[in-house]
Amino acid sequence: MTKHLLKLVWNRKRINFLITVEIFFSFVVLFGVVLAAVYYVDNYNQPLGFTYENVWRVAVEMNERAEGSHSSQNTQTDLNAPKEPTEEADPPAAATFKQLMAAAKEFSEVESVATGTVSPYGDGTDTSAIGDDSNLIRYGVNLVSDDYPQVLGLTLTRGRWFGKEDDGANYRPVVINEKLSRDVFGELDPLGKELRRPNLPPKQEEEKSTPMRVVGVINEFRKDGEYTAPENFLFQRQLLNNQMRREPNCLMLKVRPGTTAEFEEKVIKRLQAVAKDWSFEIEPVTKMRETANTFRLAPLIAGGLVAGFLMLMVAMGLTGVLWQNVTQRTKEIGLRRAKGATARRIHKQILAELVIIATFGLIFGVAAVVQFPLLDVIGDINSRVFSLSIVISLAVIYALTVICGLYPSWMATKVQPAEALHYE
Amino acid sequence: MLKNYLKVAFKVFLRRKFFTFISLFAISFTLIILMVATALFDNVFAPQPPEDKADRSLYVMGIRLQGPESQSTGPAGYVFLERYVRTLPNVEKVSLYTTPNVVYSFWKGGKIKSFLKRTDGEFWQIMGFQFLEGGPFTVEDEKSANFVAVINEATRRKFFGDESAVGKMIEADGQQFRVVGVVGNVPIFRINPFSDIWVPISTSKTNAYKSQLLRGEFQAAILAKSSADLPGIKSEFESRLPGVEFPDKREFNTAIGGADTMFEFASRMMIPSQQMESQPRKLLAIIISLMVLFMILPTVNLININVSRILERASEIGVRKAFGASSWTLVGQFVTENVLLTLIGGVLGFFGSQFVLKLIADSGLIPYAEFHLNYRFFVYGLLTALFFGLFSGVYPAWKMSRLNPVQALKGAGGSR
Repeated sequence: MTKHLLKLVWNRKRINFLITVEIFFSFVVLFGVVLAAVYYVDNYNQPLGFTYENVWRVAVEMNERAEGSHSSQNTQTDLNAPKEPTEEADPPAAATFKQLMAAAKEFSEVESVATGTVSPYGDGTDTSAIGDDSNLIRYGVNLVSDDYPQVLGLTLTRGRWFGKEDDGANYRPVVINEKLSRDVFGELDPLGKELRRPNLPPKQEEEKSTPMRVVGVINEFRKDGEYTAPENFLFQRQLLNNQMRREPNCLMLKVRPGTTAEFEEKVIKRLQAVAKDWSFEIEPVTKMRETANTFRLAPLIAGGLVAGFLMLMVAMGLTGVLWQNVTQRTKEIGLRRAKGATARRIHKQILAELVIIATFGLIFGVAAVVQFPLLDVIGDINSRVFSLSIVISLAVIYALTVICGLYPSWMATKVQPAEALHYE
Repeated sequence: MLKNYLKVAFKVFLRRKFFTFISLFAISFTLIILMVATALFDNVFAPQPPEDKADRSLYVMGIRLQGPESQSTGPAGYVFLERYVRTLPNVEKVSLYTTPNVVYSFWKGGKIKSFLKRTDGEFWQIMGFQFLEGGPFTVEDEKSANFVAVINEATRRKFFGDESAVGKMIEADGQQFRVVGVVGNVPIFRINPFSDIWVPISTSKTNAYKSQLLRGEFQAAILAKSSADLPGIKSEFESRLPGVEFPDKREFNTAIGGADTMFEFASRMMIPSQQMESQPRKLLAIIISLMVLFMILPTVNLININVSRILERASEIGVRKAFGASSWTLVGQFVTENVLLTLIGGVLGFFGSQFVLKLIADSGLIPYAEFHLNYRFFVYGLLTALFFGLFSGVYPAWKMSRLNPVQALKGAGGSR
């Protein structure tokens, strides 16, 4: 049966070739969009790690940018640079930050306050890495004050958050997420260990600096929001004294539910009174989330719309071509009817032929898209998302071709044997 | 004769409404997408006011510093630009300005959010802003740190409604400025001129910018005397980079960057490479191949439709041939039909793209978006559609027109 159908398809190879080409390109285009969509949905279904309701961010611009990488975006900073504790007085910026936090806490609307160096849904990123060149583990870094988990509602899975008990310790306390723990320590318990590959000796420059010791593990902290892939993350303790390694650039406020936008002005005016030369920018994190997600989803929505219209166009074109084919084959179909084929069988024949043509196009399509990861065209998309996208795209194209074939094949069953035999 | 062809064409279009609809849909839809894409592209790159001297302008929009352990990419520092850009030979003017910052104004009980850019006086001589009232601030204003501001139309509306703004005071980021001029809105994608409020650099809250050595928040626009001088300026700037002084060589020891046109800068930032090279040709190639990839599907669809459409008319061709029509006459007829269909699709596509662009502009997703149809690309798109329409329609028609009339009359002309 299949062999017979293949022969029929081959006999009309010219027109069928064009349909195959069309299905091939449709698959490739559709796959691109489906891959992006599946990737986003997959990310969305994983835990975010923090709460954004009733959290406001105050971006702080000190207007006296230090030289170098510290306050810039997209930088890779060396946090291991040795800086020994000294007997110096607290730097003025640290004192001002303390005053700002105290000022913010005075408001009854504010439940808790913390400082940070990157904020959820904010533009800036800060990454660091451990390991050697062949096996580099990258992670995002946030220097935060002790109250940060209360403000952002972070939950620990193991250990504790850093706090007063770490004052004056000979290590730098850090809290990492489970993914970073897995990447660095594997199945070992990271608590109390120094952040270093367990089997590698410390590097020369690492020995000089105060080591980072893991005191707690959080489930997740996906700074860029629910549509981004989970990444390694590390929180370091921000000290607002003479051991401050880097200035914070934002204050995070947890406000009481129901606090209105009018409160923004009161906060800004109060902070401005404390630090006259600094600039402040206040925004609820829910709003930052909306903006960030709009910009993240806009290309997908635009791509989806274009792909949707392309599919509609292909579907209509295919219906037209198939319909035309059927009218062309009146004679052949009529003859089959005259020899006793039922309408059902004709119907099946036309659809089966179509599925065969589609399969040819799709084989080439799948062969083309599996080159993407090999050629490194797309970033680190896991194979589950990739194969699911292939399956979905295949299903959609098959469904589309069959739907397009329904009307023409129904037309074919209406062919009267007498009419067909009329020709000769 | 032509009148007859047109008549027949319309009859054919109306007889197979579904096919006509698909062809028109394919042509106009493809044109709409092409037009919207090029309009977005032009919105960023095309030379249009305020960047009306783009043909002899270059920008230093960002630099990358590299060191043994870290790197830093972003706008340059004030001192860096003063030292290595301001002093370039063969230039008419150089302007330094900050990237726009978000600032808040508390005004009559409400909060106004705007972008604020700090610029020098030359900025207004390089950029050709359209002033609705008043005028720019001057080099003198910048030197003597006058608290004056130029605002855009949207900001004037937010502060003063429909009234005139010149001479009035506004508050932004806790500072008071006197408005000296109002300009039309600048789209956000015109990265260099874009802002809501422009004020002199010297009105900064602190003087810290004067010690920004390498990285900072400043960008520079260079206006050359003529466009022929541009390559010389580029190579001169690049030859200065190895000589850049670093205060701490353990942190950073290499500076990478260049004086670029907007498109060159985009290629620097968008194509990942260690040396952040400017590769405008590669970016152009990527854009063109994406466009071609997008156009393949509608094209194959159009060919498919045209080929099967022509098969349907085998018996018509047979009759015409039997009555003595030559092959060329028949081909001429099909050409007329295809051209007519493509032109109708083109007209629909033209209005469709206007509509979609207006939709995007009104959605508010892109602040102050201002789209213009790129007529050159419209013609390109239309010619492509015409080419594939002819190619796909004429080839089978020509084959059919050479059929034996008897066979064609029997309706067996389908090329198998």
